[in-house]
Amino acid sequence: MRVIEPWVAEPLQRFLSESSARVVLLTTASAQVVAQHGFTRALDVMSASALGAAIMASTEELGRLTASGASRSLSHQGPSRGLFLAGFDLPQGRWIGLVVYDRDSSLGLVRLFFDRMVEELRAVAPTETPAREVLAADFENELNASLRSLFGR
Amino acid sequence: MSNEDIRVLTAQLAADPSSLVFLPLGEALRRRGQLAAAEKVAIAGLTRYPDLADAHDLLARVLGDAGDLERAFDEWDIALRLDGGHAGAHKGIGFLYYVAGDLPKALSHLESALTADPGAEGVAAAVARVREALATPATAMTAPQPHRPAAVASLPPDSGDIGAAEASAAEVRAAVFEGLEGAQDGLLLLDAEGLRLGGGLSAPDGAPVGDSVAAHLAGVFRDAERAARLLSLGSWKSVAAETADANLFLCAPTAESLLLLVRDNSVPIGRLALQAEHASDAARRWLEGVA
Amino acid sequence: MNTDIVAALESVTRVRGVRGAMLVSAEEGLVVAEASMEGLDGAAVAALTAGVVARLSRATEAAGRTPPAFVHLRADGGGLMAVPALTDLLVVAVTDPEVNVGLVRLELRRVAENVT
Repeated sequence: MRVIEPWVAEPLQRFLSESSARVVLLTTASAQVVAQHGFTRALDVMSASALGAAIMASTEELGRLTASGASRSLSHQGPSRGLFLAGFDLPQGRWIGLVVYDRDSSLGLVRLFFDRMVEELRAVAPTETPAREVLAADFENELNASLRSLFGR
Repeated sequence: MSNEDIRVLTAQLAADPSSLVFLPLGEALRRRGQLAAAEKVAIAGLTRYPDLADAHDLLARVLGDAGDLERAFDEWDIALRLDGGHAGAHKGIGFLYYVAGDLPKALSHLESALTADPGAEGVAAAVARVREALATPATAMTAPQPHRPAAVASLPPDSGDIGAAEASAAEVRAAVFEGLEGAQDGLLLLDAEGLRLGGGLSAPDGAPVGDSVAAHLAGVFRDAERAARLLSLGSWKSVAAETADANLFLCAPTAESLLLLVRDNSVPIGRLALQAEHASDAARRWLEGVA
Repeated sequence: MNTDIVAALESVTRVRGVRGAMLVSAEEGLVVAEASMEGLDGAAVAALTAGVVARLSRATEAAGRTPPAFVHLRADGGGLMAVPALTDLLVVAVTDPEVNVGLVRLELRRVAENVT
């Protein structure tokens, strides 16, 4: 497990331990990576974070257009693994969680412990740092910087 | 490989980061026990060659040596999806199945490794050993300890020594429930990590299944403990189950051990609970004697 | 929510010592229907019970046996019981420690047989 923000580590570790999830990625809504577990390649993290942010943004826009409200989470069940994607709000702004699980877990368990992790993150998140506006020029630099940190380089 | 050789390989990789020299370099670092450096080399190589089975095999071996068997399994799994005949991946996954007690799957993968690379060191001996174990009744079988990272790249040595050790281990396991009904089949004592400590279990067709069932039961133990804790039900005491042809009773004689009792449907669950109490007493006495 | 299913689950909760009953999707661990689950986290009960049953099913499969037709987890302060229904549902009861297990099992099986 690798995290950019140290206060994320304990809640994320508890989530991993309780849910038996195989892969977890936490990002900001603009796809800046905050923490990851289970990825072995930087390219996969970049792709997953960008796709996750795009899917959540599209789904939320669809919810707005159809007046069905903002989507809290999405799930997809594949032949051997399931995917769970959810957005949540912290003082730092909107974050997105992407979780991949297999038959060692279930959608119910992932949702149960993901909700608890979000509560824990809200309880420990520092409140002083204001949400930053990420400019397009900074975006790629920040993504690369966080990826370097996540892969220990 | 000497320090000088590693320096040469490192220089080659620095001069040409897209070179495949990361494979022998990573392997050399792994053999020297420099696992953190080996992992970085392997991951960097995979970033450039994500579809190279050999690169996934290298990372798997590094992870295996570091004790991260779950991720090692994943990497070998990827290697096999990229190259279904990859000898190293079949060998690695075969060993992991052997450690987990799933001998049929271990044999399947080890035989594939042997087919792909008939001269592979130790694989022929490993295949023979697993075949022998499958042909032997439950009490004569043993599975090696997990979390032995150095053992992933090399398979168990001389089969003669292991035969004697297995026989001795079988005697010890049989002594746990000596005198109790089902001591050889239908009573299983395991530790919290899913390793069989005593007793034995056979499937209805007679196949020995004690080790693989023990591995699964560790997960049941963990899930039952978690459910009781998170639902504020207190400490869990037992899990009882009825199937179409058997009744099962699972309990914990000590904080670090589990007991499984399996009987056919003619034995009601209530009676199973009583038998489990006697078996738990025997298990506790045996564990105290071993400690 | 199907009122027949809820009515069937309420027959389980009428057994003395039963705190709540629910119908759960076994594979996903999600609530399908529930009765009298006050004071209980239904989502947690569903997810955790389905998890135990799934894990136990894999153990019985490894033992060459059929999947469980009844599961009872006993703890110091209560228990969980589950009976499978159709292909992917579980009828689940949460109980106090002192409960007539046989009666609850009968009612769970009755509900399982009637679930359509």
